[in-house]
Amino acid sequence: MNSAPITSWEGAEAYFTFADKPALLVALTLVGVGVCIWTIASMAIHENKAYKDM
Amino acid sequence: MEQSVPELMARLDSLEASLSMATTINSEVFYWWCTALMLAIHAGFLAYEMGASRAKNALASGMKNLIAFAFLIPAFYYIGWWIYLAFPTGFTISDGSEAGLPWSANMGPNLTDNASGIFYAAFTLFAATTASIMSGSVIERIRISGFTILALFLGAVVWVFGASWGWHPDGWLTTEWGLHDVGAAGAVHTIAGFFTLGVLINLGPRIGRFNADGTVNNINGHNMPMSLIGLMLIVMGFFGFLGGCIIYTGDTWMTIYNTPATLSAFAFNTLMGVAGGMIGAYLVTRDPFWMMSGALIGVISSAPALDLYYPGLAFLVSFGGGCVMPKLNDILVEKFKIDDAVGAVAVHGFGGVWGLVMAGIFASGYQNVAGPEISFVGQLSSAVVFMILGFAPGYVLSLVLKLVGLLRVSEQAEVAGLDKAEVPVSAYPESTVPAAFANDPTSPTPAE
Repeated sequence: MNSAPITSWEGAEAYFTFADKPALLVALTLVGVGVCIWTIASMAIHENKAYKDM
Repeated sequence: MEQSVPELMARLDSLEASLSMATTINSEVFYWWCTALMLAIHAGFLAYEMGASRAKNALASGMKNLIAFAFLIPAFYYIGWWIYLAFPTGFTISDGSEAGLPWSANMGPNLTDNASGIFYAAFTLFAATTASIMSGSVIERIRISGFTILALFLGAVVWVFGASWGWHPDGWLTTEWGLHDVGAAGAVHTIAGFFTLGVLINLGPRIGRFNADGTVNNINGHNMPMSLIGLMLIVMGFFGFLGGCIIYTGDTWMTIYNTPATLSAFAFNTLMGVAGGMIGAYLVTRDPFWMMSGALIGVISSAPALDLYYPGLAFLVSFGGGCVMPKLNDILVEKFKIDDAVGAVAVHGFGGVWGLVMAGIFASGYQNVAGPEISFVGQLSSAVVFMILGFAPGYVLSLVLKLVGLLRVSEQAEVAGLDKAEVPVSAYPESTVPAAFANDPTSPTPAE
């Protein structure tokens, strides 16, 4: 996978992986937000189970 | 050794470029270390809140701090930084705020942008600090999931609006009312304190905190020395926090409102504020916990005008804050039955208001670069905005969480201890401390 947005360091600006693919950056953002929401949901499920098991 | 004019000009250009780059790098280095120093605030909150919890809840309390810190970092990246750039004029989106969107070319390694990353980092630590202010007040009965949602909303959304409105060179509280709050007493502390008050009303007190006749039981934490060390770490971290509140330009320092300042001014008044708050709190409580909370009150009391105060005045302003806030906490507990386990509503919420109002009294008349001069009315009005901005969302969101059963732990878990209920490891597996505390008559529970 070629993730580099630049072909030369000469005149390079934003050079992070996939900087030239904004749609992919949006997708990565959505996945990251999803991971956070999923983890919070799993936290609530863990708590419910823990209280039930007591 | 004669050189031609073109050669000299080329050398001059080269020197200017080097100087400019040195300035840029100095700025990055300065905020990098401010950010690193701010981590001490979170080490401090961790120790302070675990120590303030009974042994049966120590790890669950600490877990809250760790989770808030971990979640705030991506949350501020995904939305917080954009909110700060987008809303200085109120609720309309400002031009140029696209630079803060998480898919912007500025929000990652970029050889033409040395500022975005380092300022995002500093503001992320400000955000995590804001969320952590709530954390200690709600220990020993809040659900970690509910707390995480509240912390994210406070740290990545609510306070950021306050910062954009009043801790930004173009914020409308400054351009319209002349607000001066260089150390973020209002944007961070007042908002967080009043958000916490809204949450505490819905969360309710810990079991055993109040008797049927309304009298109050003290619920002592299991490790006061750890709390004191934690509070001292928070004070240390505030030197990073307040350093991050001043803008390095290369030629000079400026406040966040673009008025000239010196780091020396911040040094004078931060230290005098810390001392004033500690001495004031000692005078009225004789309690080391409140004495160290007084150090925070002192910082917050002087924070709005750290760049302007005569240090002797900062000392007295903070001394006054240190005397008043413990008494306000007593009123919240005894009259209003608000079980704030660490006094954060008084320390941060009312401490912030105190600082803003004192700046309105003692620093009025100073010119702002944008907007009217500092005034008592402008400071007081801004404090009211921060109080409402904190309280209303804290109350509403915690009410929603309460209605869906995500705010408070079960009574059985609260009595047994949250570590036993939720945490897969033990704080003191080979110690008798938990057993000793189970028999502590000052830690009443229904089981007793």
